[in-house]
Amino acid sequence: MKLNGSIIKSIAINTFRETVRDKLLYSLLGFAVLTIAASLLAGSVSLGQDARVIQNFGITALLVFLLIITIFIGTQLVYREVERKTIYLTLSKPLTRESFYLGKYIGLCLTIAVCALVMGVVFLAVLRWKTGQFSTPVIWATSFVILEAWLLTAVGLLFSSFTSALASAVYTFGIVLIGHSATTIWILSQKSQGILRYVLEMVYYLFPNLEKFNLRNEIVYNFQPDLQQVLLVVAYFIAYTAAVLLAGLAIFRRDEF
Amino acid sequence: MLKIDKLVKAYQFRRETVPVLHNISLEVPRGKIFGFLGANGAGKTTTIKVIVDLLFADSGTIMIDNLPHSSIKAKRLIGFMPEQPQFYHHLSAREVLLFVGELFELDPKTVETKAKNLLRQVGLADAENTVVRRFSKGMHQRLAFAVALMNDPKLLIMDEPLDGLDPLGRLDFKRLFLEQKKLGTTIFLSSHILSDVEEICDEVAIINKGQIVKQGTPQKLRGTYPTLEEYFVSTVQKQ
Repeated sequence: MKLNGSIIKSIAINTFRETVRDKLLYSLLGFAVLTIAASLLAGSVSLGQDARVIQNFGITALLVFLLIITIFIGTQLVYREVERKTIYLTLSKPLTRESFYLGKYIGLCLTIAVCALVMGVVFLAVLRWKTGQFSTPVIWATSFVILEAWLLTAVGLLFSSFTSALASAVYTFGIVLIGHSATTIWILSQKSQGILRYVLEMVYYLFPNLEKFNLRNEIVYNFQPDLQQVLLVVAYFIAYTAAVLLAGLAIFRRDEF
Repeated sequence: MLKIDKLVKAYQFRRETVPVLHNISLEVPRGKIFGFLGANGAGKTTTIKVIVDLLFADSGTIMIDNLPHSSIKAKRLIGFMPEQPQFYHHLSAREVLLFVGELFELDPKTVETKAKNLLRQVGLADAENTVVRRFSKGMHQRLAFAVALMNDPKLLIMDEPLDGLDPLGRLDFKRLFLEQKKLGTTIFLSSHILSDVEEICDEVAIINKGQIVKQGTPQKLRGTYPTLEEYFVSTVQKQ
């Protein structure tokens, strides 16, 4: 695999610029910020539990909107390059397909990080205004949500290297559903027998376990993850994302345009 | 400069294999303008896409300045202008050229000046900060030519470069091609505007149904025919 740092950087910056100049991103981000701010309303109708309600509502809104952004923008990018033939402009130049693919991925991750930062700042400001406290667990939870979105970006990119934008979005959404049901799937597998048990266990190990990135309960009770948990989640993210990126690259390397 | 040897390519449509190029061999001499002629569907664009590594050959070799065509070193020598060029809609003409400069890893200090000069050369100086999505078809063609020249290529590969241009634009482009030739650039272009090809090309090859059927200077091929176009039509119809 031949990678060129400066080419990857150029493609990543161009991808980032492309997404941040997309009106769809601003619409989604605006709506997300409004929804997070609206958690104040949800908090005000609860009986003495407003901080908890705001925390739960806010982090869920942040997760949902970040995943929507990941799915809608992430699955479109490579497909749109092929559809609009802008891929001719880049792939005919002195660069490897690996550099192009990784550049696209990093550019998307950068966009997601910026969106999460905007939403996270609004979320923290809302919490601070309502509770007068600065919530460190919220920062941890937001960081884990970013890792989840980055993993799903790799998944979306993998799908978009061999299928249409719509199909990629649907498949990635399917992965989100399965990934957040990992614990249920594991429990089901342990209660099943025969082939069904093997199938469920295979699904559990093959699909990403997105529940590992879920710290919603922890922030409600103001718990912070310990170092071991953080390292395990980061290691899981790196291993799974690398595997998905390599699979995507193997397909993209053979794609014809 | 460009040597294609026994190039074979077929497309797969579901379970069906459709052969497109059958053992194509040709050689483009250094410093010449080479016209690649053929009717629609003859295999011109497929050949060009294989040369620039957007499609993969089933067999055969392509060498650019004695380097394998898909190597990074060979790609540094190429300037490519695709048929109906498209650019990132969010970029301005200047930004497109700067981005291409980055992909060629050109010196950042000179790339800005180079982009400005090229935009002036192709008649887009006034539109340098206009986003590409507002460009007309002719402006797209002009920008694509500037992109192809960004790395001072030794080999310019252009797929229907005169398509979509008005008569003044075509005149401009032909002048620019001849200027590039004077600088020593080899030009490989496909076209179906045969009067233009006859005017500027030193050598041509005719491709029909995926096979090279004739190759030589336009004057030699035309022979007793009044124009290259009439010779082309007669040759293709005979096949």
